[in-house]
Order: sequence, then C-alpha cells, then structure tokens
Amino acid sequence: MADRVLEVSDLSVRRQGATVVDRVSFRLEAETDTALVGPNGAGKSTLVQAILGIVPVSGGEVRLLGQRLGPAGQLPAAIREQVAYLPQTLTPPGRLPLRVDEFVALGWHRIGPALPWRERRACRGAVGLALEKTCCTALAGRLLSELSIGERKRVLLAFCVVRPRRLLLLDEAQAGLDVRAAEQFHALLFSLRRSEGWTILQVSHDLEMVRRTCDAVLCLNRSLRCSGHPDHALNPAQLERLYGTAWVPYHHNHGLPQPQAAAPPTERLI
Amino acid sequence: MVDPSAWLDLLALPALQRALLAGLLTGALGGVLGSFAILRQLAFFSDALGHAALLGLTGGILLGVDPTLVLLPFAVLFAVGVHHLTRGSRLPTDALLNILYSSSLALAVLVLSRIRSYRGGIEQLLFGDILGVSWLDLGLILVLALAVLSYLLLTCRSQILLSLDEGLALSRGIAAERHRLTLLVVLAVVVAISIKAMGVLLISAFLVIPACSSRLVSRHFSHYVLLASLLGAGTAVMGLLVSGAFDLPSGPAVVVTQLLAFLVAVALAAMNRRLPAG
Repeated sequence: MADRVLEVSDLSVRRQGATVVDRVSFRLEAETDTALVGPNGAGKSTLVQAILGIVPVSGGEVRLLGQRLGPAGQLPAAIREQVAYLPQTLTPPGRLPLRVDEFVALGWHRIGPALPWRERRACRGAVGLALEKTCCTALAGRLLSELSIGERKRVLLAFCVVRPRRLLLLDEAQAGLDVRAAEQFHALLFSLRRSEGWTILQVSHDLEMVRRTCDAVLCLNRSLRCSGHPDHALNPAQLERLYGTAWVPYHHNHGLPQPQAAAPPTERLI
Repeated sequence: MVDPSAWLDLLALPALQRALLAGLLTGALGGVLGSFAILRQLAFFSDALGHAALLGLTGGILLGVDPTLVLLPFAVLFAVGVHHLTRGSRLPTDALLNILYSSSLALAVLVLSRIRSYRGGIEQLLFGDILGVSWLDLGLILVLALAVLSYLLLTCRSQILLSLDEGLALSRGIAAERHRLTLLVVLAVVVAISIKAMGVLLISAFLVIPACSSRLVSRHFSHYVLLASLLGAGTAVMGLLVSGAFDLPSGPAVVVTQLLAFLVAVALAAMNRRLPAG
C-alpha cells in the first residue's frame, strides 16, 4: 500500500459561497514531516479538515494510505484508525467528568456500536503505555477539564500514540503554549515521530521551528503558492509573495537580506 | 409527624405503587439520559420540548384520543424540526427554541381556553398526575427505558467524543449529524412518555438536576452516569412518598427533593475544592 501516505489532487473547498481552498495538490511520502504555513485566513485549517472529511470538499480528491476519501468524508475504519488529528484547542465543557485515562482509551477503541466494557484489559495496557510514552502517567487520574493547555496537548499526543498510526495531522499544535512549553511539545513530537514512524502534516506559524525540524513546507494562501525544502520555500522572496510586502521576518535570517521596503523598525515590535 | 401505619396504608394502594414504580423508572431514565443531554448542551431543548408538548396534548384532547398517541408523533416531529431549523438558521439556537416553544404554548392555551370541559384540567397537564399512571403507561416506560439504556451504552464512546470536541469526533469517523438527530428524537420520546406523570413545566428538571448534581461530584465518567441515575430514582421515590404523606402535588415535591440533593452536591464540590489547596 505504497509509501504515499497522503495524496491530495486539485482539492477545492467552498464555504458560504467563497472558495477557501483553491485547487491544491501535493503528496506526502512516508515518515516525512511537512509544515503548512501561510497568513491567517489562508485556508490552512480548512485544508486539514477537508483531508479528514470534517468539512465537505467541493472538488478534487484526497487519498489517505491509498484509499479515496468518500464525498461525505467516509473512510474505511481500518484506514481511519491509522490517521490521527490534533485540533488547535481542546476545550472540554466545564467540569466534564472525564478522566485522562478514560479519554486516551477513546483513542484506542474503534468507533461504532460497542459495549463500553469490551476488551477492557487490552485497552488498559495500551493506555498505560501511551501515557508513559508521552510523560503523562502522573496525569492519568486527573480530569481532562482540570489540565493546563500544555498538559492537554501532551494528553492529545497520548490519544494519538495509543494505537499505531501512520499519519498525524496537527492544527497549530503550539497555539496557546509559551516558548518553553512549545519547545518541550516539539521535542516530544519529534522523538515520537521517529519511534512511531509517523508521517506528519502540521499547520504552523513558527517559521523558525519549521526551518529546524521539518523536511518540507507547503505555503498556502488559498492556493498553493510554493512548496519544497524549508531553505528554499521560506526564503525572503517567497515569504514576501506569501505574506505580502509588509511582512517582516521577526526571526534572524543569517546571511539573507531583509526586504528593503519593510518599513516598521523592528525595535518597535519587540 | 405521620404515623407508620398511615405510611403502610398508603403503600398498599395500587395507584401509589404504580406511581412509585413509575417515579423510580422515569427518575433513573431521566438521570442517565440527562447526563448525556447536559453535556451536549440540550438542557434547554428538553425544557422547550416539555413546554411545546402542551400543544400535542391539546391536539389529543381535541381529537378525543389518548393524549400520548398524539404526543409521541408531535414530540418526534418537534425534534426533527428543531434539528433542521437550528442547522439551517443563523439565529442562535436558544432564541429559535424560545420562538418555537412559546408559540406552541400560546396556541395550546388559546385552544384549551375554548374547550370548556378542560378549563379545570390545565393544572394537571402543567404539573402532571403521577397517581394517574396506568399499568399500560408503566409498561411503556419500562420498554422505553430499556431501549434508551441500550442505545446509550452502545454509543457511549461516540457521545463522549461528541460532547468533548466535534472536530475530534468527526476526525474519528463519527457521524455527528446523525448522532445529534438521534439524541434529539430519543429525548423527545422520553419527554413525551413521562410527561403524563411529571407535567409539562417540570419534566426537564428530571433530565437536568440529577445529572448536574452528579457532574459536580463525579471524577469518572461511568460513576457520573451511574450516580445521576441513582439520584434520579432516589429523589423521585422520596419526593413521591413525601407528597403522598403530606398531600402535596407530586411533581413539585420531587423537584424540591432533587434541588436538596443538588445543594448537597454543591456543598460537597466546594469542600473538595478547598481540600487540596489547604
């Protein structure tokens, strides 16, 4: 079943009459880490959601692990369980009486009618291991709604790792995290990606991190503007095309000329 | 004080026995279903449905048939209608529900006021008459409780994921729309069947109060659902006994008992929060 984990061809998404994603094509090879970058409102989250069948597609086709995504987002359960999704934020309703280990167990089970106590022991073992891999063992008995944002992200990773997956889609994993927590999250993601053999597609705003850790970049602004290796895709000329001329790269690009026209002095931004 | 022999006399009455059984079953059922409904933010829906049900009951009176026969299809239609309206409209759901239920209520009261024979009976419709529950009603409640329980058990995981995060649920391949519609219809059927005993005004308390009390003190999902059903059944039986002994209206007596349990839960939750800090 091919090394092509994800194939997107000519994908378009329309929302309330407007085209949000316009004829996007790309593919992900196995065990690569690809970043999806672009300005706000560029359709990054929508693209990720369309790939998962969360939002309806208006044209084109998506193939996950060689299997075509149905028009209403259908996918065979055996394929579906190999794909995991990390939403931008997980905000459980106030005092949801759901423990961390109960939540992670939800990631282990196949979806479909089943009695809640079926395969309990196998599940418990898998949950314990997943919590261990993500340094969440101490959180097992806490309520999901009591956790900090950083802890919640780690628990979401446990939700992904509890079953072998091939493809992981992350929607702005570092949103809401401070610098240190984001760093720790990425270190964890990086090591899990290696040990689990995940292929990753992640929406990101942190271009510095993308340069350091990703194998490839897709620059999206409704349509795909450029793609390729981070060094090529994230050079100033390409960024200017993507974000517009007023954009100032706030990370140091050693040896690369700053765009002349960018007006505001950087000191004022700090 | 009521003397014990009077209690025994009361318990010997078949009407009261049926009432207690009905209270036990609807209380437990309301607790279980309510614990999912409040997580999916359907508390107001059940309230609106209860109020709108008066129109269905009125229809039954007009047609001269058993109100339940009209109420069941009416409630299901209401649920399906609400599902489609809230999906297609840009107005907030609570505002739409308000429009639907207040207009149903107004229509029902207008019609009822024209039917002379029913002028006196409106209080019974509003607050229910658990002593009027027949063996047939009881059988219906039992069948319904079993059906709802097995539905919730089998879909429990999907329900939890849906109340947690719809995007996450959809990404796991859960048909969110279908689940929402099914839950609305199940709620509608439960409300329609138990309204005779509980009345249109207080029916939603059976779904909401025990579940909320349990939510405040539970730290485990299965405990939460179990405790909600125990609280529902327990408060219903206690409330009914009190109403029988002191000749109080049964629905309000049960709701006040539920309120007391809720206040205990609030106090327990406050104490639990202070403990780890201090």
